[in-house]
Amino acid sequence: MSTATATAVKPQQNERRVTIARAMAEAVAQEMRIDPRVFVMGEDIGQLGGVYGNTRGLIEEFGPERIRDTPISETAFMGAAVGAASDGMRPVVELMFVDFFGVCFDAIYNLMAKNIYFSGGNVKVPVVLMTSTGGGYSDGGQHSQCLYATFAHLPGMKVVCPSNAYDAKGLMVSAIRDDSPVIYMYHKGLQGMGWLGTEPGATVHVPEETYMIPFGKAAIVREGTDVTIVGVGMGVHNGLKAADKLAAQGVSAEVIDLRTLVPLDRDTIFNSVKKTGRLIVVDEDYQSYGLTGEIIATIAERDVSVLKASPQRVAYPDIPIPFARPMEQFALPNPDKIVDAFHAMKRA
Amino acid sequence: MQPTRDQKVWMYENMVVSRFFEETIEQIYLEGKKPVFNMANGPIPGEMHLSNGQEPCAVGVCAHLTPEDTVTGTHRPHHIAIAKGVDLKRMTAEIFGKKTGLSGGRGGHMHIFDPAVNFACSGIIAQGMGPAVGAALSRQMQKKPGIAVAYIGEGAVNQGAFHEAMNLAAVWKLPFICVIEDNAWGISVSKKASTAVADNSVRAQAYGIPGYQVKGNDPYEVFRVAGECVARARRGDGPSLIEIETSRLAGHFMGDAEGYRPKGELDALRARDCIPAMKARMMAEDGMTQAENDAIVARARAKVDEAIEFGRQSPYAAPAEAMEKVFA
Amino acid sequence: MVAVKIPTDLWEEDTEAVITTWLVGDGGTVSEGQLIAEIMVEKVQHEVRAPASGTIKISQQAEAVVAKGGEIGTIT
Repeated sequence: MSTATATAVKPQQNERRVTIARAMAEAVAQEMRIDPRVFVMGEDIGQLGGVYGNTRGLIEEFGPERIRDTPISETAFMGAAVGAASDGMRPVVELMFVDFFGVCFDAIYNLMAKNIYFSGGNVKVPVVLMTSTGGGYSDGGQHSQCLYATFAHLPGMKVVCPSNAYDAKGLMVSAIRDDSPVIYMYHKGLQGMGWLGTEPGATVHVPEETYMIPFGKAAIVREGTDVTIVGVGMGVHNGLKAADKLAAQGVSAEVIDLRTLVPLDRDTIFNSVKKTGRLIVVDEDYQSYGLTGEIIATIAERDVSVLKASPQRVAYPDIPIPFARPMEQFALPNPDKIVDAFHAMKRA
Repeated sequence: MQPTRDQKVWMYENMVVSRFFEETIEQIYLEGKKPVFNMANGPIPGEMHLSNGQEPCAVGVCAHLTPEDTVTGTHRPHHIAIAKGVDLKRMTAEIFGKKTGLSGGRGGHMHIFDPAVNFACSGIIAQGMGPAVGAALSRQMQKKPGIAVAYIGEGAVNQGAFHEAMNLAAVWKLPFICVIEDNAWGISVSKKASTAVADNSVRAQAYGIPGYQVKGNDPYEVFRVAGECVARARRGDGPSLIEIETSRLAGHFMGDAEGYRPKGELDALRARDCIPAMKARMMAEDGMTQAENDAIVARARAKVDEAIEFGRQSPYAAPAEAMEKVFA
Repeated sequence: MVAVKIPTDLWEEDTEAVITTWLVGDGGTVSEGQLIAEIMVEKVQHEVRAPASGTIKISQQAEAVVAKGGEIGTIT
């Protein structure tokens, strides 16, 4: 079984398989039942249930007072989330596409991310900002980006990115209970919406009861000895598929799912690379100044001698995302590119 | 100001072209998406926002414009692009993602750019406002003729960009018009649920400029009001705001089940479809014969067919061309 | 043994559906009324619930195209 939770949850006879969309909604609903301060706002999250299904069923249970469709006014409701959070509520807000951050980024990175610090820790900002990421279905350059590093770069925001429904639920519960702002980035291609195509490995067993997944703990989703493949979200699934292909060639790949970018579990990455001696970082976000460079720097800074070869990165090239399918598929990371990166490393 | 007969024929023909275009795109979009609807599949992948029903907003305004005037469209841009005179063959090829497309396939249906007729659009709500105001500023500074029109939806009026751009245009007295296409729905959220005023034209008062509301999706009335606004802008008297009540006959995007629409609403909108209504009116008031109508329809059909054929038959760019055109 | 069938009343037309996700594992225990699968007609998702309690045997996998009333598994 090559799902990302293979080490976290044993497959069982009575699987309760859940999509990420349902896992997110379930976590929010369970928190809303026990905490009246939790509410949801965003565009089309009410009757529509979220364009990506992650608030489905909530308005039926909690009503429009706590499940609030907003006008198309991101600056207003992001700022309102900050204010409400600091006034005792625990808002979960949706930015429909992460690409739309541009219209409301001041509220996010100048207010949400900094008010705790500005107040010397005297003000809390328990906001969860959930937002969809990723392309691969020809939605063009304003609806397909990941932008993980943009959020992770700016101090003051925790950044999480589930690769499967088990993590999606536990990370959401942790996010809602956190007193700091959490950017919850879910990849559209993992969401379980059939019309987008879905990575089957993202739909896994999820316990009905509430549980938390701690931030800053990466998961080793496949153990190996020859190379470490590090990724997040869709990158984990690409890494697992590449590991299958490499295994067929007699190469043992270890795959790490970071699960959270902030905080980042540098120890797990380092210990794995120390064991394998080789590192490939996979990222659907733009290559330069991003996640891939940060992971490689982690190893270079700590002990470059653990590396048997120069690390490789398989990331999105530094171009806006093209619409046409052949061009977009050319630019996206995929398992074959990871396998090629391994062989490039061996040749060097 | 009423349209001349020739202007009416132009408006009607462009509405028919636009509708044929959308109906054809709708069919092609579904190719490869049945029985499994996966947005990534078929000759036209991705999201598709069709403009069926909103044609009067496009033709009634663009009838007053020339290629040198600037227009920015929305994520639902086809009808506006057609009325503005965007090269239909190359626009279609762009929607197919082909090398012969306006952007070589890099943009897609939400990113139609045709500098030859000063048309551009964006998939981000209300973000056509700033660029259109900027084009108006450029004309004023360069003392060049031409005005700028930004189309936005009624939901976009609740974005900061709308207010900031309106105020800028007003305070600098720019040759600019904001056209709000009020189709009553921002995806699943109704205008009533999202907007504090029923009529967005009243917001013009906040900027000290004229504001107009056009009811009934009436192309003649759009033409009349737009004519006044265009003349004002060309005189150098500054910007104005028009909100047009129109109809979204398709869903927000292809595949939208529209479970949020009240039962019967769509049937009611279809019953007063602007295209048969205009046809009837031209036959009754302007002596348009069935033969003349048939000729218009045939020309429109041929134009659309030619564009679709061009889009379908054109080749894709080489995948590695994705790396080109990032910088000028 | 009870057949798990695609409901005939979820959508009006005679369009085929596709199984997007099984929400239970093959051979698992299900209880009557439990949500067991998601299906999709065009872009609209619908839910399939267990018609009985027991052990489920899946006969149509995810991505299979199914008609209204079509059997996708059995419960014993």
